[in-house]
Amino acid sequence: MKPNGSFAKLFSVLFALFMLAPIIVVVGVSFTPTGYLEFPPSGISLRWFREILNHPDFIAAGWVSLKLGFASACVATVLSLPAALAIGRGRFRGREALQSLFLSPLMVPTVVLGIAFLRFLTLVGLNGTFFGLMLCHAIIITPFILRLVLAAVIGLDRSVEMAATSLGASGWTVFRRITLPAIIPGVIGGWVLAFITSFDELTVTVFIVDPSTTTLPVRLFSHISQTTDPLVASISTVAILFTVVLMLFVDRLYGLDRLLIGEGKR
Amino acid sequence: MAFLELQGLTKLYNHFVAVSNFDLKVDKGSFVSLLGPSGCGKTTTLQMIAGFTEPSSGSIFLNGKDLSNIPARKRGLGIVFQSYALFMHMTVAENVAFGLEMRKIDRSERDRRVADTLELVHLAHLADRYPVAMSGGQRQRVALARALVIEPELLLLDEPLSNLDAKLREEMQLELRRIQQEAGVTTVMVTHDQSEAMALSDSVVVMENGKIRQEATPFDVYETPTSPFVSNFLGKSNNMRAELISQTPDGAIVECNGIRLESDPVSLPQGPVVVAIRPERIEIASSATDIPGRVTERVFLGSQWLLKVETGLGELLVTRRNTGHREAAPGDQVFLNWDRRHLRILPVEQKVSRT
Repeated sequence: MKPNGSFAKLFSVLFALFMLAPIIVVVGVSFTPTGYLEFPPSGISLRWFREILNHPDFIAAGWVSLKLGFASACVATVLSLPAALAIGRGRFRGREALQSLFLSPLMVPTVVLGIAFLRFLTLVGLNGTFFGLMLCHAIIITPFILRLVLAAVIGLDRSVEMAATSLGASGWTVFRRITLPAIIPGVIGGWVLAFITSFDELTVTVFIVDPSTTTLPVRLFSHISQTTDPLVASISTVAILFTVVLMLFVDRLYGLDRLLIGEGKR
Repeated sequence: MAFLELQGLTKLYNHFVAVSNFDLKVDKGSFVSLLGPSGCGKTTTLQMIAGFTEPSSGSIFLNGKDLSNIPARKRGLGIVFQSYALFMHMTVAENVAFGLEMRKIDRSERDRRVADTLELVHLAHLADRYPVAMSGGQRQRVALARALVIEPELLLLDEPLSNLDAKLREEMQLELRRIQQEAGVTTVMVTHDQSEAMALSDSVVVMENGKIRQEATPFDVYETPTSPFVSNFLGKSNNMRAELISQTPDGAIVECNGIRLESDPVSLPQGPVVVAIRPERIEIASSATDIPGRVTERVFLGSQWLLKVETGLGELLVTRRNTGHREAAPGDQVFLNWDRRHLRILPVEQKVSRT
């Protein structure tokens, strides 16, 4: 198969369609004027977007998800940064074990994590609180940040820091002026990835939310288990739009390919 | 006391001897190269001078001060790293200004010194560029300017030219020498490239297995190596096992594969030796005398020819200046000779253990 032959092009187009099809359907459905899910929509209407405003519970859940994503991504970043620096360049006993520990939330089935978190939060008396939920999300999303920051740290040339030291910079100055700016694309990329992961986390969250801390995915999930109106589609479209805007913003700031491929150097 | 003095500097990693009892004196303003194959301890030595590696024993004195208890960031040395180690998120001027900023030098003087140093390395016109938009040679100059702007007492260069392509490397050699002399800064360079060491240095320190093998001017190291290792490491050399059979005040006689060769007098005990002759000192004789041989290979290098000649002594490399005529071709019979003063008689190498 030639890399730019017509067969290869056809394959690429089909593959892209396969990836995009669900999103296209959801966005299409959200513009329907009818009271049921239909695709392609029989007309263009913003009826179901206006309908969102009549559901303060969805808006409240959206705010919870935003705040939760923001707070947990920040907490996980603060935890991951020193961990990545230590794991990426330290040569100490238990380094591998530490790395596995931080990445373990990716390996444990989410259902198991959900039950474990529920038990644990009840035990420490944080069940049903936003704080407890935020801690659980921080744990789940830590691997995403850690991996990106770790890639950036490993790609960092140690002699750059040595150069700064030889020019008279203290340890803290080296970190602030040299190390952090060099790995910041990895840190921001990890933060965004973590935020999005927290924003649409469902499996673990269902176990540990209570009515006051219901997140958007949990609210949507319980909504579609009762009715199937195009409201879920319009809310999803808003969420997709939000994600796209976030990604564009990050792309303008640092270049998306660099973040997701994890290239540390410019 | 010399300007820079290393005394009995030693570095052990567990039981591995990286650097062993290293003594060195460097005069103010001179350019010294530590030359050796990878793993010979030259980089470890540089790291100890810089303060990034702590010596197991021994001391370092710079301008009369003992550096032992001075951390790297307070030694005030200029260092150019192999990778250049530029700050990629800063412009050229910001890179160069960093050391002055750390020294809390006020804005106007900082700007002036950055401008002067960029002038010195011919980069004044690129002050606002980011390193990513620069060539290897330009990055090299930025690294040099950044190290020189703090007016270091000592400049350390770690394989400074090894990331440049061959043509640029030759240009930068001359440039580096000019800059070092204009700045008048005492310099220690680490390199594995013998031509770089010879072109730049006032003095070359050849290292092997953590030890100094020979220290002299580039000319003396090349002309009078004291060991087969050094003669092979600097330039090309035909080294052959031989037996020293007689010595008189007017000369020595060695026997190699049953052929007797004469040399200038040497001070070595009779017995096994290594004889060494540089390829460019071997002549191709017009008459059928001396050492007969047969050309087995011929390589054209532009300014010279490289011949491999099979002789009774073994296979010899011979280089011949290209004078515009065709050289002897593979299969041709030739006769080789040389002036006996070019033949070096060296002691047989001892294997050294590093643990």
